[in-house]
Formats: sequence, C-alpha cells, structure tokens
Amino acid sequence: MAEDLVLDTAIRDWVLIPLSVVMVLIGVLRYFVSKLMRSDQVPDLKIVKEGQVIIRARNLRAAANFIPAKSFRARKHYYSNEENGLLHVPKGQAQNPQAQMFSDPNMAMDMMKKNLSMIIPQTLTFAWVNFFFSGFVAAKIPFPLTQRFRAMLQNGIDLSTVDVSYVSSRSWYFLNLFGLRGLFSLILGEDNATDDTQRMMQMGGFGFDPTRSLGAEKDSLDIVQHDWALPKFEQRAESVLKKLVQK
Amino acid sequence: MAVHDDSNGQKKKSSDALDEIPTFNVENMQNNTRIINYSRTFMSIIGGVIAGILGYTALTGFIFYFVIMAITTVGLAAKTGFAVHSFFDSWNQIVFDGILGGLLSFVLFWTFAYDMVHIF
Repeated sequence: MAEDLVLDTAIRDWVLIPLSVVMVLIGVLRYFVSKLMRSDQVPDLKIVKEGQVIIRARNLRAAANFIPAKSFRARKHYYSNEENGLLHVPKGQAQNPQAQMFSDPNMAMDMMKKNLSMIIPQTLTFAWVNFFFSGFVAAKIPFPLTQRFRAMLQNGIDLSTVDVSYVSSRSWYFLNLFGLRGLFSLILGEDNATDDTQRMMQMGGFGFDPTRSLGAEKDSLDIVQHDWALPKFEQRAESVLKKLVQK
Repeated sequence: MAVHDDSNGQKKKSSDALDEIPTFNVENMQNNTRIINYSRTFMSIIGGVIAGILGYTALTGFIFYFVIMAITTVGLAAKTGFAVHSFFDSWNQIVFDGILGGLLSFVLFWTFAYDMVHIF
C-alpha cells in the first residue's frame, strides 16, 4: 500500500451508514407498496380454464409412471385426441388470445405499475446520491483493482494518483444495490419484489399465450414414454404388511 | 469461528424409499434449496463482517470467503446425515449453489466492516 489515507469520521457517520439504511428502508417500503398495490384483477374464465387444463396435463406427465399403462394411454387419448381432445386447438383460433392480451387494459396497467415501482426508487436514490455525495472519497474497498476500474469507481474524484481502492459514493451505492439482495431475501422471505435483476430476466419470457402452451403441452405429452415404476408393488405391499403384523 | 447457524428449520426427505426408480417430491426439494440459500447468505454476511473486522485484504479475504463456503457445505452435508442423495438432486447443488450470490453480500459487508474498523 503506497499511501494510507486517513478519512474523516464524519464520512462514516453521514454517508456510508445513511446510504445503506436508506436503501434497506426503500427496499422494505417497495415490498409493502407492491403488496398493497396488487390490484384485484378479475381473471378471464376462458384463460383460467385453459390454465387448469395445462396443469392437469402436466400432472399427468409428471406422474405417468405411477398408473398402469392402459389408464395412462386412456388419459393421453383424452387430452390429445384429434377431434375433441382438450389440448387440440384448431388453427383459426391461434392468434386471438395474443391480440386480446395486449389490448387488455388491466394487464398492461399492471405491468406498467410493476415496472414503475421497480425503477423509480432506484432512479431517485441514484440521483440523490449523485447530488449530495459526489466529489469525495467515500470508502476503501479491501482489495486492489486494476487501473481501468478507476473511471468507473472514482468518478467524482479528480486526483489520478489516489489508489483505486478508494472509491466514491456512487460505487458504494452500486455495491449496496447488489449486496443487499441477499439480505432482502433473508428478512422479507422469498418472492419479494426487490429482486430487480431477477425480474428483468423474467421480463423476456413474459407473454402468457394459452394457445401456444396448449400446443407445447400436447407435444410433450406425446413424447412421454410410459415406464411402469411399480411392477413389484403387490409383493412390496405384502412384505410391508407382513412386517407390520409380526411386530 | 465455528458457529454454524442452521437457521430456518428442517429439511424434508425429498426422495422416496423406492428402490427401483427414484422419485422426487418437488415441494420438498424447493424447500431444501431455499434452506441452502438462506444458510449461505447468512454465512456470507457474517463472514464478511468478520473478514472486515480482522482486517483481511485482497486475496486473504477471498480465500476466507471460500473457507466459509466450505464450512457451510460441510455443515449442510452433516445436517443431511451425509445422505445427500435422499435430500437433493445431486452433489453439485449442495456445493455450488448460491456461491456467487453470497459473494456479493460478502464483499458488501466486508467493505463495510473494514471501513468501520480500520479507516476510521
């Protein structure tokens, strides 16, 4: 270590701790606000029915090995039968649900509300950090980094000879942003709305299109090989009962 | 530093006692995975604070993090009675799951504690 800067105690009290505390509190606030703002959306009957059919088909696929081959085939036929099988949708109806979904005002509003409630606190906090806490060294990270990180981590500090380990408060903000995700999962329980990056990854796969999933479900049901998992079941039951009786 | 905290309750047996084909109870497996994540997060936070207080820098700190993760792995394995396969899908899950997420929390609390104590 070339030089060892001594930093003002006041920075500790008035920058690091308040920033962390504020971020934790904002996360908790966002969680409760998103819970309160969950609007009661009356689900469309048709979509619910199709969703339930898909769940049933999925259960059949998962537990296929526990029912005898004949009953499995009977159920499979019920689902993927060409004329009146539940999963078979004629081609004409393929496009409608998708168009309906996008013009459905409720769903669009919900998506927008969720997006906003994620992005706005982050933006506000970032702007606040930049405005108040720029232009000085805020913290020292305990490990050294190369010179190329200097531009990213030290953007308020204009001295080029200061060690890259001494970072500005903006990088403390980002460090908090990522590090507090773990803490939130501990104190708020699973399925909390503060995990931004996870949500952003899920955004790409959004688009509940019932027709497409029906077709996909039908295909995967066709693929399943039935492997009777309980061939010696009667013998096993007999031995278990025998053991019970002998006790 | 030998305080493990096997917080948040019990793991549940997720595979059946069938000899022929192993089956998994999905809900229990999810519960077990959640427990792994909680344990790792908690340990990485505690480990970060300790690393900061003790003044580890650079490489020593990262090595300390992996030591903590190894202790967590051993602790989790011991909790399953070393019969890992009846609780989890594979070895990989109990060893590698949640290491990178924990790393970020570790670095945060490490930086925090290090600054509090040493650069006052």
